[in-house]
Amino acid sequence: MSVILEARDIRYRYPGSLEAIKGISFHIRQGEKIAFVGPNGAGKSTLLQMFNGMICPDSGTILFNNEPNRYDSPSLRQLRKRVGYVIQNPDRQIIAPTVYQDVAFGPANLRYDEQAIRQAVALALQHVGLEGFERRPPHQLSGGEKKRVAIAGVLAMDPDVLVFDEPTSGLDPSGSEDLMELLDELNHEGKTVIISTHDVELAYPWANRAILLLDGRILQEDVPDVAFGNPDHVRRAHLSVPTLLDLSQELGRRGFAQPERKPRSVLDMINIIENLLTRSCGNSNPGTISVCDIDKAFDTPLAAWISSRQNLAVGAMGTRAKQRASQEQLTLEFTYGVIDKCILRALRGQNSLILTTSSMAGRVVTRVEAYCQESGTAITVIPLNTTNDSPITGLANEEVKENDSSY
Amino acid sequence: MIETNLDSVAQQSAFRHINTGTKLILALGSLILCLISPSPVVPLISGIVLSLVLIIPGRTSPLLYRELLLGPAIFAIMSVVILLFMLGGGDVIWRFNPVPSVNLTITEGSLHEGLLVLCRVFGCSVSLFFIALTTPMTDLFNGMKRIGIPIELIDLMMIIYRYIFILIDQAVEIWHAQVMRLGYSRPMESIRSFSMLCGMLFISTWNAGEDLIHAMDCRCYDGIIPSLDQAEPVQMRSLIPVLLYLAGLSGILLVMTTRVVVLS
Repeated sequence: MSVILEARDIRYRYPGSLEAIKGISFHIRQGEKIAFVGPNGAGKSTLLQMFNGMICPDSGTILFNNEPNRYDSPSLRQLRKRVGYVIQNPDRQIIAPTVYQDVAFGPANLRYDEQAIRQAVALALQHVGLEGFERRPPHQLSGGEKKRVAIAGVLAMDPDVLVFDEPTSGLDPSGSEDLMELLDELNHEGKTVIISTHDVELAYPWANRAILLLDGRILQEDVPDVAFGNPDHVRRAHLSVPTLLDLSQELGRRGFAQPERKPRSVLDMINIIENLLTRSCGNSNPGTISVCDIDKAFDTPLAAWISSRQNLAVGAMGTRAKQRASQEQLTLEFTYGVIDKCILRALRGQNSLILTTSSMAGRVVTRVEAYCQESGTAITVIPLNTTNDSPITGLANEEVKENDSSY
Repeated sequence: MIETNLDSVAQQSAFRHINTGTKLILALGSLILCLISPSPVVPLISGIVLSLVLIIPGRTSPLLYRELLLGPAIFAIMSVVILLFMLGGGDVIWRFNPVPSVNLTITEGSLHEGLLVLCRVFGCSVSLFFIALTTPMTDLFNGMKRIGIPIELIDLMMIIYRYIFILIDQAVEIWHAQVMRLGYSRPMESIRSFSMLCGMLFISTWNAGEDLIHAMDCRCYDGIIPSLDQAEPVQMRSLIPVLLYLAGLSGILLVMTTRVVVLS
């Protein structure tokens, strides 16, 4: 993957204040999910504002696509089109009196024609699940909806890199989970996503790489289990070790052998514990995971299909899948971390159904296959819409189970 | 917040999706007829009809509507009481001498004028409430753009409209924080707290202004605030009843004017 953003020894001092950024260098590759983690005042927001040229460093260079940022007006417009920035407080980002006008703000100022503006707004609102909100004034929206409007406003400009300053601040836990899933969805579509946060529990399972900041400097930059695994650094950065990592380290200290790859989710942890107990808890006959692509036709009404199966849990991945579930009045058991939760069910011998979009359907198979290879289990993934497709199992040498009547 | 409520009510009104122009013709037409009518009958009929239209097909809460009318009603009644004693003409209906040198009288003329003013205030208020309760500000901005009001003025109004709710929320938050710490317990304390509230709001507005510029720059601001180009089309099934109603009201006005001229 090519490097899309790079910082070379950047420094910045606010007028009449202490130095906020004290010589930082790093690079971010295209398609990565990066979390800048640090306590309040570490310089996260200042650093993020340099990515789209809102702040010009006093010294050092920021490069976008290997080109040093230039700060003349046309270059900044071009940069800001490519690097979208979502401010922490959506009330400060939403400018216009209606959702449509706000989302159309970027495209209109980029001089798109009327048709292109409408199309960009419709796509952006569809992406964040706010279709039909066009005429709503922002002050009548909930915190989560406002955040989504702010994101749609940036998405309408179709940037390559999305930068979020404290994306989940002010949101309730469910809203935070929905938002993190939206970030995953955007990343899956090829966008590079960068967030700043002081919530280690949020950054640890989500990020490809975590960059720990303290007092305007980088304390550590690595994959999350290494970045958050150093108790000394975590303590110095006024953070805490993520619960799963802490648990894994505690098990290691008590003499239980821990795998090289540290657990990033409850599923990983269960896998480790099951391995420790020599699979005594494992179900010899795992359940199946059915995948329904909502973009494709499905012969039977979904609600009828689900009700005809007993003990079937339904999860939805992606905003449109959740909307479809809501339209069909389906009760969703999982709305985030859906694949892992379905694998956990399968390990207990129970079946699940995942509603998802075409772009995300492949991800289910990839994740289940990766888990099966790692753990030596065979979980069957059944694509529901493509009637000619055979079920896919995690292990090639396992016999494929038929779409049986055991649902 | 009554401001929030009015805008929310307009958003949820059954007449929300009727063309803004049609609603403006109805409200402004009624307003003008109420103002030029020499008889209280026209404003009274206009006020009653528009109120019924707002409450029954418009699904406006009667309680909220009553609350809204209470403001102008109190003001109008207080003014009319004074007018009754100030204006003259015709036979004396009621005389009152609180002290020997003060002679307060209500005459036929003053009663008629008072009644006319009361009905006009009622009719005109209802006409304006009809706009406020059925047409959100965002639709009015669209309408303004169509009739050629300078775009700079509309942009400014849109930004003020967007931020006024945030400012009100912040004022309420600060006020709550002050009340919780007994900020308004004594008169001097109230003055000090209120001045602090104003100061804090000023600083916060200043910061919000800077953030607004940042937010606009982030999204490549180049002098354009897009408009919500989704105006409802003019529908004959709403325009024709409006025109018929105004024609009927004009007819009544004509008859009443003729009667007033003949009587005088």
